[in-house]
Amino acid sequence: MGSNPVDLEIRILDQSLSEGLQLETWLRSRAVSDAATAIFMGRVRELTMDGRPLEALELSHYPGLCERRIESCARQLLEQHSARCALVLHRVGRLLPGELIVLVAVSADRRGPAQRCCAALLEALKHEAPFWKREWSQGVGTWLSSNTPL
Amino acid sequence: MNQRQPDPGDQVKVLLFASLREQAGWSDRCISLSRQRVFSAREIWDGLDLGELPRMVLVAINQTIVSPDHPVHAGDELAFLPPFTGG
Repeated sequence: MGSNPVDLEIRILDQSLSEGLQLETWLRSRAVSDAATAIFMGRVRELTMDGRPLEALELSHYPGLCERRIESCARQLLEQHSARCALVLHRVGRLLPGELIVLVAVSADRRGPAQRCCAALLEALKHEAPFWKREWSQGVGTWLSSNTPL
Repeated sequence: MNQRQPDPGDQVKVLLFASLREQAGWSDRCISLSRQRVFSAREIWDGLDLGELPRMVLVAINQTIVSPDHPVHAGDELAFLPPFTGG
C-alpha cells in the first residue's frame, strides 16, 4: 500500500510569530490546491493555571528530538486522516500574555479530515513533543506538570 | 560508574530539562562509565543523587525515547524528560 505524499513545514521560533504573514505565505504556496484548511492558534493566557495574574510564560524544548517528534506525529496523522499539508509554528523563550504560542494549520480535500487532523496534531504537540512551560507570577517561576484540559 | 576525570572515550552526556534541571541545579553533565559492566539509564539516574526516577519522567538516548532500563553506552547522549506541556 503506497502512501500519499505529504507536505510539512515545522518551525520552532524564539521570536514573536508574525502569524498573519507566515500563514498567508504558507497558504499561498502550499495549500492553495486544497479545498479545506483548518487553523488553530493558541495564545498565552492572562492568568496562571491556579488563577494568579501571569507576568510571562517561559517555553523551553529539547532541540532535535522536538522537531523529529513533531514531524513523525504530523506525517502519521496526515496519512491517517487523508490530509495533505501541515504547518506547525511553535514559540520557545519568554512570552507575554496574549502572545501567540502555537499555530497549526492543516489542509485537505474536505473539511472533516482537515479539522480532525488539525485537532489531533495539536494534541500530539501537547503530549508527544518535548516542550515545557514555566509560568511566572510575582517574580516566581513554576514549571507546569500537565496541560490544560481539552 | 563514577565521576572520575576524564577519558572522553567512556563518557556519557546526561541532559536534564525543565523542573529536573531546576531540582538538580545543572543542565548537562558528563558521567564516566565503568568498562566492567553495562549500566541502564535508570542506574545512571540513581547515581545522580536526585531521588527515585519519577514514574512520569521519560528517558531518551541519542534523541530516541526508550525504556528507563535501556542500556547506555559510552558516547551516548542520555536525557531525562519531565512530562511535556507544550502547545
